[in-house]
Amino acid sequence: MKIDHRKLQSRIPGTGDFIKIDNSRCTQCDRCLVICVMNLWKKRGDTVYIVDDYTSHCLECGACAQVCESDAIEFRFPAGGTGIVIEQG
Amino acid sequence: MNEYDIVIVGAGPGGSTAAKEAAEKGLKTIFFERGRKPGNKNSSGTGLGPRLWREFDFMKEINSDDCPSIREGRAARNYMIDNDGKVTGYIMTTPTASVEYEPAKSWITLNCYRSDFDPWLAKYATDAGAELKTSTLITGLLKEDGKVVGVIDEKGEKYRGLVIGADGAVSMVAQQSGLRKRWGQKQVTLTLQYDFECSASKIDDVMGDEALAVWWSATFPAAYQVFFNSSFHIGLGNWMTWWDKNPVHYLNKVINLDYMQRLIRVLEAKPREFQAHLLPWMGTPENTHTDNVILIGDAGGFPCPLEAEGIYPAMVTARAAIDAAAEAISAGDTSKDFLSIYDMKWKATSVGEDFKSGPELQSIWMALPFSPRKSMSWFVPMFMEILGGIIDWSEPHPVRIRQIARSLKKYLPQAVPFIMQEVLPLLTSVLGEEKMEMLTDPAKLMAEMPEIQEAMMQAFMDAPKEED
Ligand SMILES: Cc1cc2nc3c(=O)[nH]c(=O)nc-3n(C[C@H](O)[C@H](O)[C@H](O)COP(=O)(O)OP(=O)(O)OC[C@H]3O[C@@H](n4cnc5c(N)ncnc54)[C@H](O)[C@@H]3O)c2cc1C
Ligand code: SF4
Ligand code: SF4
Repeated sequence: MKIDHRKLQSRIPGTGDFIKIDNSRCTQCDRCLVICVMNLWKKRGDTVYIVDDYTSHCLECGACAQVCESDAIEFRFPAGGTGIVIEQG
Repeated sequence: MNEYDIVIVGAGPGGSTAAKEAAEKGLKTIFFERGRKPGNKNSSGTGLGPRLWREFDFMKEINSDDCPSIREGRAARNYMIDNDGKVTGYIMTTPTASVEYEPAKSWITLNCYRSDFDPWLAKYATDAGAELKTSTLITGLLKEDGKVVGVIDEKGEKYRGLVIGADGAVSMVAQQSGLRKRWGQKQVTLTLQYDFECSASKIDDVMGDEALAVWWSATFPAAYQVFFNSSFHIGLGNWMTWWDKNPVHYLNKVINLDYMQRLIRVLEAKPREFQAHLLPWMGTPENTHTDNVILIGDAGGFPCPLEAEGIYPAMVTARAAIDAAAEAISAGDTSKDFLSIYDMKWKATSVGEDFKSGPELQSIWMALPFSPRKSMSWFVPMFMEILGGIIDWSEPHPVRIRQIARSLKKYLPQAVPFIMQEVLPLLTSVLGEEKMEMLTDPAKLMAEMPEIQEAMMQAFMDAPKEED
């Protein structure tokens, strides 16, 4: 059974930016790439980045910032009343 | 400036319980939720255990009109999955003879979506007079002379009062009050799950009164299945140090077990939602408070050290926090020193009781069901040999018993160190040194139990010699 888990969410737009990476701190440990269940972290050459349209996929789980021991990822929740809506949690 | 006695960040089970308790004590209380309504941002298995009903009277009022997702049950199923990803057996369990609390003899869990439960609970708080502000993100702590005196929302609005951090695993309150930058990687898990919809009558027919299933496995960390009225969750999690591949890879392994696929087909179930959430899980909560700030529930690291049940601990620590806060407010002293009564209070609850053996409970869980390749790879076949070995008609039974015994011997090199490193420390912590000494010293054990001694003497020592 193939499930496209990336399509199984509802969202309210208008989050604004809420995740940032500071590449000068990134040690390219790849932990954020492994942990993000939505595959929003990528690497091009030796630069780690988050995809442009992350705000329309992110689950706001905070796992990327949690695993980043070098404080390269800054995460806060999106604006109140926007972002992921978990209907059957 | 808005002046309150108590300012609570978060309207999950912790925040709403704190708001209710505070308002009932006559404290001027406000609680904030970033979602449009409570429950909008929460993902949980949401198995609610009988402890909640023992502690909180109002739980008796929960009902399917307010919370249509409710399903309760008295049975749990445990599947064993081997190294080849095959279900090699399962056991269904119901409450056993040793259960003392009467209601718990007839049910083990009531399951209810957070999108039902959280708004239901928040209403008790607003009915008691607490003010709820939804769609409001708290972005900072208000500080004066370096000390926290309240919170600031995303629009810059300020609220003064004693701050209760009920903001869950990713806690801004914990960060900005200096209590913690982030969790240690072995203090928190990532837990992800699918929600499947299906008809209520199918679940009734196929599962009966089984409300839960655990999939113990050698190929993925222990997975759970929780049945709701007309749907179920399948999820799994592990500590941040464990993941070598994307977590979805492991969850999809569960979904694609032949057995699970069959179950999905007979239930005619369809995947509907995918969720992921951090879940703190540790042996000992630390840094639970500072000047004018108390952390409760997930923000404080309170999910049960054995199986990470977190709703009950969030509600119990909420109550302890408000007790402590009320005393601090009436003494006019909300310093870190004074608020240390919070630790005394939660340690005196049943949550505190769990954490007395916290490190051992967490450790055994981490070492067994959450170390599939290292431990479950021998545990599952060993367990199934004991459970299912005798179900074989290809040999005379004595031969089978010798075969089973030989096979079990094979697992000893892995099982013995596990017992020494995990099981004995846990038993010592739960039973105490003295009882353990008795258990591990046969002479002392016999001296304590004359009847057993008598029986053993008769069976072995006084028995007539076998005829040649
Ligand atoms: C997949 C999964 C399955 C689980 N299964 C079970 C189970 O079966 N039984 C059980 O008892 N426990 C279970 N748990 C654990 C349980 O969900 C948590 O322990 C529980 O939700 C903790 O409650 P809380 O009130 O402390 O925090 P939360 O429920 O996380 O509530 C925090 C609230 O604060 C809000 N918030 C956060 N930051 C801000 C901010 N800055 N401003 C405004 N609002 C904010 C959030 O939106 C949220 O509503 C599970 C957890 C997960 C992830
Ligand atoms: S976890 Fe942090 S340090 Fe590691 S690759 Fe990602 S951003 Fe870089
Ligand atoms: S918060 Fe979660 S879903 Fe969003 S980018 Fe980070 S890890 Fe991925």
